[in-house]
Amino acid sequence: MFVVSADALSVTGLNHSFQDLEVLKNLDISVGRGEFASIVGPSGSGKSTLFHLIGGVHTPSSGTIEINGEPARRGRIGYMPQQPALMPWRTIEKNVVLAREIAGKSDLALARDWLEKVGLGDFKRSYPHQLSGGMQQRVAFLRALISDQELLCLDEPFSALDAMTRAEMHRWLLDIWEANRRAVLFVTHNIEEALLLSDTVYVFSHRPATVLEKVTVPFDRPRRGTVVDDPEFVKLRRRLTDLLTGNPR
Amino acid sequence: MTTLRKALPPAITLILLIAGWQLYCTVSGVDTWLLPSPKDIWDAAVEQRSVLTTHTLATAELTLYGFAAGVAAGLLIAVVLHLVPFLRAAVYPLLVISQNVPTIAIAPLLVVWLGFGLAPKLVVIILVCFFPVAVATLDGLGRSDPRIADYLLMSGASRGQLFAKLQWPNALPTMFSGLKIAATYSVFGAIISEWLGSDKGIGHYMIVQKSAFRADRLFVAIVIVIILALLVFGLVLLVERLVVRRER
Repeated sequence: MFVVSADALSVTGLNHSFQDLEVLKNLDISVGRGEFASIVGPSGSGKSTLFHLIGGVHTPSSGTIEINGEPARRGRIGYMPQQPALMPWRTIEKNVVLAREIAGKSDLALARDWLEKVGLGDFKRSYPHQLSGGMQQRVAFLRALISDQELLCLDEPFSALDAMTRAEMHRWLLDIWEANRRAVLFVTHNIEEALLLSDTVYVFSHRPATVLEKVTVPFDRPRRGTVVDDPEFVKLRRRLTDLLTGNPR
Repeated sequence: MTTLRKALPPAITLILLIAGWQLYCTVSGVDTWLLPSPKDIWDAAVEQRSVLTTHTLATAELTLYGFAAGVAAGLLIAVVLHLVPFLRAAVYPLLVISQNVPTIAIAPLLVVWLGFGLAPKLVVIILVCFFPVAVATLDGLGRSDPRIADYLLMSGASRGQLFAKLQWPNALPTMFSGLKIAATYSVFGAIISEWLGSDKGIGHYMIVQKSAFRADRLFVAIVIVIILALLVFGLVLLVERLVVRRER
């Protein structure tokens, strides 16, 4: 036996059911420190359930989830939901600081610094409704990023955005993340998005979700948007699409 | 400018109504004790001003005490029922039914139970004020965005934080709607409580003037009640401006 330094996230033999409905089956997922991992899978494959288990909101039927080597419990992840879920009565800076506030480590100056750093400084005193959907998602990401958690869980954060805004967001996210490496678990049903952003992609099956394949993405960082035209990228995308549609060649 | 433009149509309507009323009284020569003209009412107000000031202040004081107590009761009920779902299920329907009991019918009972002092009067005002506040606040507390609630839970928020950071701020706009209703009810509650038996206040003044068939003075009292209600309403509006910074 040997001791491994703890991964940011380590999911082992995870099963979860709601009454008779089996949602997750024998999942093994690990995300190292500073690693960007994605989960792609058909809608309704239990990806959000997995997040609720990692976030400690529900307890799994069986299996273990460890965050930084400790059993998962609430308040151990930075979370970015599908909808920005900003509080309409709070200014942008007060929204950004919310996750820290919950942890009792409120730091408005830090929030302002970060807003400044990522080009949202002019909006710190604005209210969420004054921002576009893409801007609101940036705020939601920042809220997770400054939460001071090693593991960030991003639940289909760009699925509601139009293609152009989404591409902009990818660039923006990569720039920030590559300069501030954190462990990220990113859920999406967009294969291209997963390949563009991640070091590792887990392909989930339909319910009950199992890992069909774990794909290591070979492209260098910092990554550029043009990587999508790389023949290797096109091949990988093809393969994952076939896996997901159950059409292996 | 827009406020002025909005205020203009009702102001003109009001002026026309008063002018028509005055014209009718002058032309028809109807008796003052039956229908006083606006001019008669104005004269009565000027003549009675020192007496009226005393009574108005008494009613205003009673209204504010009662309103404050009613709001406190309403908020307390809302928060308790929100936090204890079992109590909510058990109490809420009864609360709604209780509102069908005419206050004026139980007011005399309150005097029997509590005497003629301040207590029964406050209870009457509390009874008319707490309900809109409780219902509106309870509604607001229960209607927070489930996506934000989910975010907070995932981020490790406790139940107390969920309440303080999401449910309570989310309830403020609806709570203020309830407060505005309660504000106008509070003056009405104060007048009723003064009818019960009091030696001062606009309600007491109305009873005395009714016995004397002084319709002109009764109308003055009515105008004062309206102004008092508008003032309490304005007070709530002012506090709302200061507290609720939600722009939509």
